[in-house]
Amino acid sequence: MVQIDDNYPTPTSVSQKSTVALLVRPSPSSRSEKPTPIQSGILDTNLHLGFLGRHLLQGLPARYTSQDASQPWLLFWSLQSLSLLKVELDQGNKDKAAEGILAMQNPNEGGFGGGPGQAAHLLPTYAAICTLAIVGAPDPSSKPDSDSVKSITPWTRIDRRALYRLFLSLKHPDGSFRVSSNGEVDVRGVYCLLAVAKLLNMMTEELVRGTKEWVRGCQTYEGGFASAAIGIGEGRWAPLGEAHGGYTFCALAAWVLLELEFPSSSSSSEKKLNFRNLRRWLVQMQGGEDELYGFRGRTNKLVDGCYSWWVGGCFALLDKLEERDGDVIWNPEGLKEYILYAAQHPAGGLRDKPPKSPDMYHTLYNLAGLSSAQYASQPQTSSPTSSDQSSPSSSSSESPAPAQGAPSDSSITSSTPLSSSSSSSTVSDSASSTQAQPSSTPRATPTTPKTAASLPPAITLNGTDPLFNLTKTHAEAMMKWFREEEREDFR
Amino acid sequence: MSQPTLYADRAEWSDVVPIEQYENTTPLAPIFYKNEYKDATNYFRGIAKTGEKSQRVLELTEHLIRLNPAHYTAWQYRYETLLAIGSNFEDELRLMDELAITHLKTYQVWHHRRLLMLKICKPARELDFIARTFKVDAKNYHTWSYRQWILAYFNDNELWSGELDFVEDLLYADIRNNSAWHHRFFTVFQSGVHDGEEDRERVLKRELIYVKQSISLVPNNASAWNYLRGLLEHNSIPYSRVISFIQPYTLSMDEQTADLVDLDNPPPSKGAHLPCALAIEFLADIYEAEGGDRMLNATELWKSLGNEYDVARKKYWEYRIREGLRAIQT
Repeated sequence: MVQIDDNYPTPTSVSQKSTVALLVRPSPSSRSEKPTPIQSGILDTNLHLGFLGRHLLQGLPARYTSQDASQPWLLFWSLQSLSLLKVELDQGNKDKAAEGILAMQNPNEGGFGGGPGQAAHLLPTYAAICTLAIVGAPDPSSKPDSDSVKSITPWTRIDRRALYRLFLSLKHPDGSFRVSSNGEVDVRGVYCLLAVAKLLNMMTEELVRGTKEWVRGCQTYEGGFASAAIGIGEGRWAPLGEAHGGYTFCALAAWVLLELEFPSSSSSSEKKLNFRNLRRWLVQMQGGEDELYGFRGRTNKLVDGCYSWWVGGCFALLDKLEERDGDVIWNPEGLKEYILYAAQHPAGGLRDKPPKSPDMYHTLYNLAGLSSAQYASQPQTSSPTSSDQSSPSSSSSESPAPAQGAPSDSSITSSTPLSSSSSSSTVSDSASSTQAQPSSTPRATPTTPKTAASLPPAITLNGTDPLFNLTKTHAEAMMKWFREEEREDFR
Repeated sequence: MSQPTLYADRAEWSDVVPIEQYENTTPLAPIFYKNEYKDATNYFRGIAKTGEKSQRVLELTEHLIRLNPAHYTAWQYRYETLLAIGSNFEDELRLMDELAITHLKTYQVWHHRRLLMLKICKPARELDFIARTFKVDAKNYHTWSYRQWILAYFNDNELWSGELDFVEDLLYADIRNNSAWHHRFFTVFQSGVHDGEEDRERVLKRELIYVKQSISLVPNNASAWNYLRGLLEHNSIPYSRVISFIQPYTLSMDEQTADLVDLDNPPPSKGAHLPCALAIEFLADIYEAEGGDRMLNATELWKSLGNEYDVARKKYWEYRIREGLRAIQT
């Protein structure tokens, strides 16, 4: 649907118009130039691996000081991006990542902060635990025994007792949690806490008493969720802030985590969410053709690649809750167009929208959104678990995405370790975007000209569990570990 | 322009033992901090370890939050220091005014104000301050939710009394400002009954007129339609109540018939782009609610949306058709 302003411009419509002007499919500057993968609507995996590799291994320029209180996030965003791209670090770098994270565990309060010596905070705690899920899984072939268990996995060094005490100390009587000892209350914190509690097998009734009602209070008349809610008496709530994509994801994921752990009985007088309005709002957040079908985060605001996950990922959450199959109510094919054509940056990484620069946050959430879109378009495949192998599966029975007029491209690198050893120059070679061909990383190359039979594989990324934004393998391994009876009681 | 002197070079800080961030490990994704920042954070870690709460700590934390407004630990420690040394919270608030304008999008800047406000308890001044910041960014999420918190927390009728006018000014400036529409809903329907608003029938009528006029002026405005839906649902009024109003919006400009001025049913403005997909959706909802044979009318409308007026959401309209047909079969 083309955006129309009823011949009544306001700042919103003016801003919208100028954004739309830049949301066009990129094309080569001259007819004689061969289109790049991005210009052909293909995910340029190698390019993005280079972007991620540079940041992880060479480090971040001074302007990243603004992220100094989000260091676990920097690791999570890059490592989960790698997981989605079916790449894992070698053991040396995994250990480095784990040590870095553990250095951010707060020795006094428990939990994790944005950096070593920083106060405990629910958001970096989530990022830290998820990073450990990615890099810290015990080798399944080795048997745990009391002496070597510590060396098998850094998960033994997570102080769950202190973490549980921290969680309780942050709780408010109305069911909400503040993010740090004197920090703000909002639903992101609640989600982060519940996700961690689930991964580490720490969800108790005591922990979550009243939380579901508070989360429900965050739903607005539009159907999405606000950042927080304030009680206004007689069991009623007023949401603080309008319906917003980021908060909606957190609220819905929190709700699902609570519902799965403590299912409400059908006879329960407990009020439910307004799913009808939520579904409508989610669908309304997707942009039209002139916005390349990207998602916006709020009504009458601009589309942004990160909402590919925050809003696009909500549909998988609804599926999980309602145990439904097959009813795709949104436009995943369209979302792919946005991510592949607008969000991919020609020098690597993904972004909000052109002409903005890429960053690791937008790289992850665009890729996670792309993964969601890929799996949503394939109702025949079973859950994303089946694709955690390195080879793409998929029967491409779906119609081709409008983007693809390009030759077939099996653009997957096999599990390519990003080596840390100084003798190997693999990483710096492949990381440099100025080099024409990376030296040793298998490069995606277009093969024969496309025929109707050789459509590109529809699923090229790993699936991601919508509750955590981790691959099912990583999430399940961690949950299983902490369920074992030998684990110390955290209370 | 001279570089600020490092704490390491200042005699009055020589008693503090600075602490490096990473002692034994070289992390992945290291940030290449400037010396000024490294030095300030080393000294911050130093005083945090000893638990010092003093005037010079206020100086250091101010320096830090200027360098990195997202450094929540520095904010938290600063707040604790203000409490410990008995600082004047109003002076602190004035200092924050400057920072807020430069760093509007940081959580911490606004949360710190909230903590101060809990001590100072002068919300009217805050509402003025917030109103000024909207000139810079009329949709700032932190600012709007902070405003709502102030109003709900202090719950003072004096504060509430000016709110409707305030939000109308912003809607006049931009009828598509969804933050303002949300705030209107919050003020009118989600914050209890304020002085002068006791006649709920009158309030409802006023709101209906307001939203209809907004739709009439700019029909393709999702904010207004969402407000209309919210208003009706919240007050348990069926959508069918406004069917005569919305019907003209489902037709093209050529098909408009209204000659008479009907205040209850303002027609689409001359510049409107019609038919309006949001109106067609609304009409379909009305038919769906009626059920029975009317469901087929709803189905027709959903088909028209999926095929012509809102093609991007085709799958959603197909889902609505399936659900609608399923409903009348049971």
